[in-house]
Amino acid sequence: MLNVAIGMLGMMRDRGDGPDRWSQWRPTVSLCQHEDLLISRLELLVETGSMDLANRVAADVRSVSPETEVRLHMIEFGDPWDFENVYSVLHGFALDYQFDTDQERYLIHVTTGTHVAQICTYLLTESRHLPGRLIQTAPPKRRSSGQAGRYTIIDLDLSKYDRIAQRFESEQREGSEFLKAGIQTRNVAFNRMIDEIEYVAIHSRAPILLTGPTGAGKSSLARRIFDLRKLRNNVAGRFVEVNCATLRGDGAMSALFGHTRGSFTGAAQDRAGLLKEAHLGILFLDEVGELGLDEQAMLLRAVEEHRFLPLGSDKEVSSDFQLICGTNRDLGADVRSGRFRNDLLSRINLWAFELPGLAQRREDIEPNVHFSLEQVTVATGHRFRFNKEALDMFLRFAECPDTPWTGNFRDLDAAIARMATLAPSGRITEEAVDREIDRLKRSWRDSGTSASVDGTHVLEALLGDRLDDLDEFDRVQLERVVLVCMESRSLSVAGRRLFAASRRKRKAPNDADRLRKYLSRYRLDWSMVKDALPG
Amino acid sequence: MLTVDGSFCEGGGQILRSSLALSIVTGRAFRIENIRAKRRKPGLLRQHLTAVRAAAEIGRCKVEGDEMGSTELVFVPGVAVGGDYTFSIGTAGSTTLVLQTILLPLALAKAPSRIVLEGGTHNPYAPPFDFLERSYLPLVNRMGPKVSVTLERYGFYPAGGGRMVVDVTPAESFGGISIVERGDLVRRCGRAVVSSLDRKIADREVRVMRKRLGWDEGEAEVVEIDRPVGPGNIVTIELGYENVTEVFTGFGEVGRAAEAVASHAVQQCQRYLRSSAPVGEYLTDQLLLPMAIAGSGTFRSTGLSRHSETHVDLIGKFLDVEIETEREDSRAIVISIA
Repeated sequence: MLNVAIGMLGMMRDRGDGPDRWSQWRPTVSLCQHEDLLISRLELLVETGSMDLANRVAADVRSVSPETEVRLHMIEFGDPWDFENVYSVLHGFALDYQFDTDQERYLIHVTTGTHVAQICTYLLTESRHLPGRLIQTAPPKRRSSGQAGRYTIIDLDLSKYDRIAQRFESEQREGSEFLKAGIQTRNVAFNRMIDEIEYVAIHSRAPILLTGPTGAGKSSLARRIFDLRKLRNNVAGRFVEVNCATLRGDGAMSALFGHTRGSFTGAAQDRAGLLKEAHLGILFLDEVGELGLDEQAMLLRAVEEHRFLPLGSDKEVSSDFQLICGTNRDLGADVRSGRFRNDLLSRINLWAFELPGLAQRREDIEPNVHFSLEQVTVATGHRFRFNKEALDMFLRFAECPDTPWTGNFRDLDAAIARMATLAPSGRITEEAVDREIDRLKRSWRDSGTSASVDGTHVLEALLGDRLDDLDEFDRVQLERVVLVCMESRSLSVAGRRLFAASRRKRKAPNDADRLRKYLSRYRLDWSMVKDALPG
Repeated sequence: MLTVDGSFCEGGGQILRSSLALSIVTGRAFRIENIRAKRRKPGLLRQHLTAVRAAAEIGRCKVEGDEMGSTELVFVPGVAVGGDYTFSIGTAGSTTLVLQTILLPLALAKAPSRIVLEGGTHNPYAPPFDFLERSYLPLVNRMGPKVSVTLERYGFYPAGGGRMVVDVTPAESFGGISIVERGDLVRRCGRAVVSSLDRKIADREVRVMRKRLGWDEGEAEVVEIDRPVGPGNIVTIELGYENVTEVFTGFGEVGRAAEAVASHAVQQCQRYLRSSAPVGEYLTDQLLLPMAIAGSGTFRSTGLSRHSETHVDLIGKFLDVEIETEREDSRAIVISIA
């Protein structure tokens, strides 16, 4: 690797006439005088009008370091104290320069130039427009003839510094912990996702899309993102949250974008609207898929240009907010069916995160049970505990693959809250757990986890005329099996659920195989069952 | 392969340079380890790399680890080939040190060489050109080869920019010499050289030399350099005897009085004069290498520095020679090589 130094000619510090200049310390010359640093090439940026000085410095560099090739680049700052000018010129240089980072190691000399130029150089290095490390030179401590002085190389890649990296890591860990509300989640995929969200939340103000089933925690995560940014002084405004499913008709427009007095019947006063309220803050639109097409169009413009027109107004207002959207709908499908604008979707799903339901994170149920219990304690001021057996019993049920957790964390939190309420002494007993399990099962049955799919239709689609040859005795069983398969991710998952009871007794479970054999008895296989869409 | 410990001896530079020269002359590869291991910035510096690359070039050698900061180097020599060479040395690093590395291999090559060296010629941490020309090379020439050297431009630290040309005609045979007595004094002269500096500095230095040595007006002179590259000041005192010439030097520095610079050279001269041995401590160190390569020879020295002792050990690794030292008295020591 060759060392290539890039620096500015120092109008004052590199100056020097006659032989006396050799007893002065000149940063650019000194750069090439170090016994332990060989600069193979020096790219010297010279302001027009300083050519004489540049030529003298270049000649002196060649004298002290014949190994160094010196290239002079003419630049024109105009006013070298004007930030915009200087930045543009240096940015232009960085863009034009052919960096070859495989062969060359770049050292950006920041000792010369005006303070403004030094700031710009630093910024361009930090943003990797100048892909190198900073080099800072300093005169020798004792003034004696011609000593090269000292130099320090500063790498702005902070991960290269152990102590700083550790600090960042712990800060990031804190950030991630924060987003998880301190819940010690164990699901690897979930934790990785939270780390990503943490990074995005800190480093970007681009829209974030949170998808996932209802009750997966989209809304509380959005609020946590806001709180984290607030903690890091990254946001000045408020957190404004609205469920788009509650917005209908004219009310939707005015709630979001505001209105002027008299713009419609009942609009007695000006209203700022949620977007305006979220200025410099975060706007969380839950159920964004429920937004009407008109509102979508307005929202798109507001996201892209930070400007929109309140209802009944002919004057645009501006609001600079970060958008977080939540949805449990398949927005891609909604785009295909014309329910959702494609341009809006591509705008809001730059950072899309899918929050898994509780059923996909069963290892996280236990920490969430404890967390939820603490929340109840905080809310009521009373301390609640499970009996050991009661906790085991509840977890056995909660973590069982059979337990659907249709309402996800909402169901879990509600269950904990109910059990706590029914435990006047603060101890949650096995009996209370037993009753709660019944209640949950009933609620899932009533809301009809499986009832939404008509089993008879599915079997007709799968078996056609053969259905007539089936006894009702067999048909009921097959219907249930097929429905479970349709709800399951894989044959194994379906097998585990269907044969859960015998699975507990056996050492080497073969549920998948059993299920496959059962299906084949009806000349069915996994893919056929999965493809069988109801209706 | 020979292994050389580069951690001992000041700077490790001379160990490295002598190893390079010995390796090419003997054809024996070596590995040098722990180069400047105990230093704040360990490993090879630019001046070392320059020497390594110059040696590799003239000796058609293979090198591994010749990188800045490298603490280990493997050197597999080829054969020294006479010819035209130019070496430019950075940071006003000494041209004489590079010459020290490549001179003897080229003096033993088949064809003559012309070497152009650019950089520092008068550097406080290296033998100055004058020492090379007056003291060292005449002795090398007595061993067989013909080496002549011309200073075309002075190169002082820090500006550098000096230039010297060395012509080397290899010897038919390279034989040891004997320097036991100085012989009669045939010439003595003191010089105060100023480059881009006030002549008054040199005047003061000349005054000190004359006064302290009791010399006549014509025996110490001021030299002002024409078309100087950079500032510099050196005082040299030369004592020319029938069998040997010694040169003592003092370097001017910012913040150091001219009188102190001249005194430094005078003190060395006076110490030499108190002994009867012909070869001073510094020349002793330089002479060990060619004498050992010649394989025989005797000389009387004013003393053996610790530097020289390490040098003797190193020579013993490459060459099958016996170097014996016998102390005569506190001011003379006889060194014989067989």
